[in-house]
Formats: sequence, structure tokens, C-alpha cells
Amino acid sequence: MDNKTFEHLCVLSKLSFDDESAETTRRQLDGIIALMDKVKAIDLTYDDTLDKNEVPFASLRADKAEEPFSPERLLSNTQPKNDCYVIPKMMNVE
Amino acid sequence: MELTKLSIKSMREKLVSREITSAELLASFSERKDEYFAYVTQTSDLAVESAQVADLRIAAGENAPLLGIPGAVKDNICTDGIKTTCASKMLADFIPPYDADVVQRLKQSGYVLTGKTNMDEFAMGSSSQTSVFGGVKNPYDVTRVPGGSSGGSAAVVAARLAPFALGSDTGGSIRQPASFCGVTGIKPTYGRVSRYGLVAFASSLDQIGVFTKTAADSAEVLNVISGYDKRDATSANVPTPDFTSYLNRDVRGLRIALPDEYFGDTVGDDVRTAVLNAAKYFEESGATLVPCSMKVFDYAVSAYYLLACAEAASNLSRFDGVKYGLRGEGATYEQRIVDSRNKGFGAEVKRRILLGNYALSSGYYDAYYRKAQALRQEIIKEYNDVFTKADIILTPTAPEPAFKIGSSENDPIKMFLADICTVMANIAYLPGINTTCGYTDDGLPIGMSLIGKRFDEGGIIGAADFFERNFRRKDIP
Repeated sequence: MDNKTFEHLCVLSKLSFDDESAETTRRQLDGIIALMDKVKAIDLTYDDTLDKNEVPFASLRADKAEEPFSPERLLSNTQPKNDCYVIPKMMNVE
Repeated sequence: MELTKLSIKSMREKLVSREITSAELLASFSERKDEYFAYVTQTSDLAVESAQVADLRIAAGENAPLLGIPGAVKDNICTDGIKTTCASKMLADFIPPYDADVVQRLKQSGYVLTGKTNMDEFAMGSSSQTSVFGGVKNPYDVTRVPGGSSGGSAAVVAARLAPFALGSDTGGSIRQPASFCGVTGIKPTYGRVSRYGLVAFASSLDQIGVFTKTAADSAEVLNVISGYDKRDATSANVPTPDFTSYLNRDVRGLRIALPDEYFGDTVGDDVRTAVLNAAKYFEESGATLVPCSMKVFDYAVSAYYLLACAEAASNLSRFDGVKYGLRGEGATYEQRIVDSRNKGFGAEVKRRILLGNYALSSGYYDAYYRKAQALRQEIIKEYNDVFTKADIILTPTAPEPAFKIGSSENDPIKMFLADICTVMANIAYLPGINTTCGYTDDGLPIGMSLIGKRFDEGGIIGAADFFERNFRRKDIP
């Protein structure tokens, strides 16, 4: 994997590495991708119509919210400060 | 009377007859020290309170399935008001505001929570050494790993710190540690047990299951945690049988498939011999052995890691340090997210996120992810073919017994290949159970896996129970 691809993956993954750990991680990924390349050798095509019969959970129930939690419970893991909740700064105001 | 060695059924009978109290039962497990880093959090005070409440309920004539029975829960399963860390710095202080469905069901059945068990970070690993709190040790040999990712749950049961523990299995994370620690571990059919409240790793592969000393005990716990849950969109709306009704049967007429590929050079001699001896025992007891072949075996690990990493990359994108989890620093929103994830995730988790995004990214999607999906269909087809000729499939659970701490965990490829015997059942949504079938000369347990048809947990529990009733297990030294 070249540096450009690795850097692109870091952007997609919202991760960053210093030079040393980037090199180690890139080398490890190369080894794993070589293992994954094995799938290219097999001549198969994915048939998305097949999953409707083979996967017993292909038809899911409607995604409706029910019994919502109270705001207090939902915010129980945020960081309270003087009766307020501290959220990260989202924008830089010029 | 050594209470920690009783079956769950015997514990319940003695509790109901008031021969023992839940408080006494809990004390017998609590007196044993956790020398294995099996727990991340021990809920000792809560456990004492719960045991006292259970004793009052029993005195009032109640008889729920696990009333007064201690049990542990893997630390990626949400427990209301009790830390659920996934053994990660990212969630080190996370306290869920709700219980997972399985925890609600255990509470309704009266269990006594002993603690949350240690694991590989976000359930990614096969050694339980990637926990941010420190690695778990194998109770059979503390210089060796307990397997993973549910190594803490396996160690808790093996060391008799609790009679049962819940785990999760995405590619073998219940069956492989059960094998390494010499206990019984069952991964039910995908959909049998609700995943509501399980911190997601790979949603189409994850399944909650049970560690116990025996298959008979696993039937007791599986009875409690199984069932439809509308909050999990993939929960299967199928009847739950009484799994204990499959116990104490024989195996006459049972057709057991032995796929050639599982018994080749991939597995060590000790393991191959022990599993084939078990097959021979089944045959001598009236079962029929069915030789077969599963040609996709060689591709299964590659397909599994493509699917699992792709789903993990998506699932773990929610950890941005905003709503919950570790919060990093930075001048901009983007920098804060990156800093949160850099500081919160360990090396293995980061590697899998990168791999998942690689497999899903433009230019690679068809070559990797779609191909892995095609392989998944082929694996399902091969299982369907085998199940036209056989009732269950018998394989080794892991290629080798428990390995030394420090010997392999830093080699990602070697660790991936350690899952070669277990990943296919997850890919095909099938139930699998590990039970011990032998020991090495050094006394390390060797496990075998019985894989069943979808929703036939009863069949594999019955076969494992038959074997266990006729096999002498060795306790930890």
C-alpha cells in the first residue's frame, strides 16, 4: 500500500499516526491485505436476489422509535458543568 | 459440599428446598480469588444485595429459573448503571442508561450479577490480551492466553468464580476461549438471542451466547436469554424450545459430518487426534460418521475479516467523543474527532477500522467486499448441502491449544488464522457449541465444535451433553 492510499484511509477512518507507527501499521496492513487477496482467486459473483431466500432476516421490521429515554438518561454520560452540559466546540467563529 | 462444583439445576433445587441460601452460594464463588484478571468490574456489594433479595423471594415461594444463581456478563453488554467499557479507553467511563435485552431477561429470572468480564478491546482479538486494563490469564496455565475475545468470561467459569457467564461471538469469540479454558461455550443461531444492548462490532455476525461448565448448564441459561425482541431488528420471531428437553438422550441414529478440510495440516496433531477420538466415540455409541468436503474452507478467514472489518469500520464511526466516550482535544471539530479516536482506540481496533474502510472504498469495493459477500453465499450453500446428509457437523474448535502470552498476539495474521475453525458458523448464521474432548500432555484442554442447522441449538446441546456425560473433565490445577 502506498503512502497516498494509507493517508486516504486515515482520513476516511478519522485516525492519524506519527511517522513511525504509520510505517508499522502500513506494513501490517500490507500483510493482511495479501491474506485478503485470496478472495480474488475464487470465481464467484454476488447474487443479491439470493439473500432474499437465504438470509432469514432479510425483511426487517419497520425502524420506528418507541419508548424514548428521558433527556436526563440520554445525557447521563455527558460532562455536566454548573447545571449545563459541555459539548465540544463545533465551529470556529472568525 | 463444594457448592461451586454443583450444576445450575442442583443449585436451584438446593435453593428452593432451602438447603442453601443464595448468600451462601454467592460467598462460595466470591471466596475464590480472581487471579486471572477475568473481571473488569466486580459488583460485590450489588451481588450481596441481590442475593439477599433472592433469598427473600425464594422464602416467599418464588421459583424463577436463575433465582439466586450468580452469573457474570461480558463487558460489551450494557448494564444499567454499571460501567460497560468494552475493555477500551474509549468507553472506560461509560455507564449505560439501560440494560441489554439479555440482562433484562437475566434480572427477571432472578440472577445475581457478580461482575463484568474482561475481553479483547471491542471484542477484536483471539487472546484477550488487547484489553486496555491488561490481559486475561488462562486458569489452566497462567502463562497462557485464555483465548478471545470473551476470555474473561471463559476464565470466570473455568476458575469457578461464577457458574455461568455471558459472552459474544463474532468469529469464534465464545467457542475458542471455551476451548482454551476447558469449559462449554455456545454461540446460538443468529437471531435466537437479542443483540439489543450489545456494543456492535460486526452486526451481521455478532451473537450473544453462554459459557458454563456443562452443556446441561448452558441449556438452563439459554432458556432464559433466548426469545424475540422487537428492539433488535434482526431478532428472529421463532418459538423457543425448552433446551433442557434435549438433555440425557443418546446419539443412536445421529448423522455427524466430518469435513476433510478441518482435519488437514491446519490443525495440530494433538487437536486432530482428540477430535477424531471423540468422533470415534460417537460412532461406537450409535452415531453415523459422514465424510464430506467444504471447499470454501480455505477462503473463509479472508471473507470473514473483509466482512467483519467493513462492518466494524461503520459501527465504530459513532465513537467521535461527542455524545459519549473519551473526548480528545483540538482546535476544530475534525481535529477533536481524530484526537478522540487516536487516544481512545488501541492498535488492533485501528487496524481493523483501516482495513474495513479499505475494503469499502471506491475501487476496492467490488474486488473485496462484494467478493466476500459472494463467498458468504457459497459458504451457506455448502453448509446446506452438508446438512442434507448430516444432522450436525463436528470440527476442531481451534487449530492449537492455548498459546503462550506474548507469543502470537503481536502478529495480526497469525491471530486471524487462529479463527479458521470457527468463522464459518458465524458467516452462515449457524449455532455452534464447544466442549472439551481431550487434554495435551501438559494438561491443556482441547475443544471440539458441534455445529447445527439454524435454530437447532437443541441438537448440538444434546450431542455435547451426551459426550460430556461420558468424558472425564479435569479441573484447573
